[in-house]
Amino acid sequence: MIRAIEKEISQDRRAFIKKVLGGTIAGSLLLVIPAGAVDLTGIPEQIPGMRGDTAPFITKKKFAFIVDITRCIGCGSCCVADKNEYKVPDGMYRTWVERYVIDDEDNVYVDSPNGGLDGYQEPREDIPHPTRDTFFVPKLCNMCEHPSCVQVCPVGATYQTEDGFVLVDSKRCVACGYCVQACPYSVRFINPETKTADKCTWCYHRVRKGLLPACVNVCPVQARKFGDLNDKDSEVYNILHQPHVVSVLKPGMGNKPALHYVGLRREVV
Amino acid sequence: MPEYKSKPYSHVVRILLILITVGVVGVAVRAMVLPKSFGQYGHYRGTAIEDEMNRPIRNGTNASCLACHPYIREMHMEGVHKTVSCEFCHGPVADHVKDGKVIAGLPKKQGKEIKRLCLRCHNQIIRARPKESIKMISMPQHLEQKHVRVDHNCNQCHNVHAPLMWVKEARAIVGVGEDNR
Repeated sequence: MIRAIEKEISQDRRAFIKKVLGGTIAGSLLLVIPAGAVDLTGIPEQIPGMRGDTAPFITKKKFAFIVDITRCIGCGSCCVADKNEYKVPDGMYRTWVERYVIDDEDNVYVDSPNGGLDGYQEPREDIPHPTRDTFFVPKLCNMCEHPSCVQVCPVGATYQTEDGFVLVDSKRCVACGYCVQACPYSVRFINPETKTADKCTWCYHRVRKGLLPACVNVCPVQARKFGDLNDKDSEVYNILHQPHVVSVLKPGMGNKPALHYVGLRREVV
Repeated sequence: MPEYKSKPYSHVVRILLILITVGVVGVAVRAMVLPKSFGQYGHYRGTAIEDEMNRPIRNGTNASCLACHPYIREMHMEGVHKTVSCEFCHGPVADHVKDGKVIAGLPKKQGKEIKRLCLRCHNQIIRARPKESIKMISMPQHLEQKHVRVDHNCNQCHNVHAPLMWVKEARAIVGVGEDNR
């Protein structure tokens, strides 16, 4: 009888200690974990109405990308964000920023040290004539309406969705490199880690979850703009439907890019 | 005329048989090798869209960082650096928070790294930057002009989150204007 009571008491003790310990640990954890830590799904939508839409294609919106080279300061935020988002291997660039320098003699010099990932800290000193004009040009996938890369892919690994995104299926890609050669804008590369073709996707996975592409989100001067052309109040619609110096790269290739540039100079290739 | 054992059209039958066999085997192998959803929407694997859609998001937005850092939010959102991304200097939020829990600290730039980071955008010597977008300074002329030692770091006068905060406060205390600094 006494033994039974002792047993009960010791069990009670054990339970008591367990509860106290548990409570202490939980309490101290609450102090460590900031209240309301943001899960990635808890971030407010930047593109309204995209969440919860799991249909294979985006039907209500028609996305366009605009790069304003009259605003770009060449800070390379976009390149940093892009590398972080995709863990892009060193030496490969899904997006990069080029520096154009035009001298008095109208010679054009283009450079892009490490794709602009480290920013531009030094001026170019190898130019013999005084500089007449200089500017930055960010480059990324042009999301062509008639993509050459899709046309040449022999295994159906590169495809165009009905909503206009050109994507790569890394499970099917055999890294033959045809698409890398076919792209007029040189945005494709063979990823040395996955051993497949890779390129900018305008952050398709972010867009489908209502977030802006990583580069657009971080641009401090709004040189990169992303929006819906079906929305007549959107900035991209207004830029493309009102008088602006707007152009695409290599229009003669007939690829019809969905990436537009504001203030593009004829020297840019 | 020599007499042939086979019938005059037997070679045609043979070729047809071979062609049909090759065709049937080809179609069967293709069906076995191709993924099920191939051709669902076009000449590609239909489920590849879903795969791409479910790629993990690694960069959040400033809202995702500032939700847990209210003190920084107050400074950052009031200053001229409010458009600068937190993750540009500190790294992606996915390396910091996972499933609502802090998994690791993100680096803070220190010392000369800060100066390098500032000059990445504000260095006048890189002439390609449009004046409408950003305010630029030349180094070390800026330090000489402000009568401080030339080895001063940017963050000794400028709060990196709100660059003009301390400058404005100092001016308010001393009561100096923009001209006679």
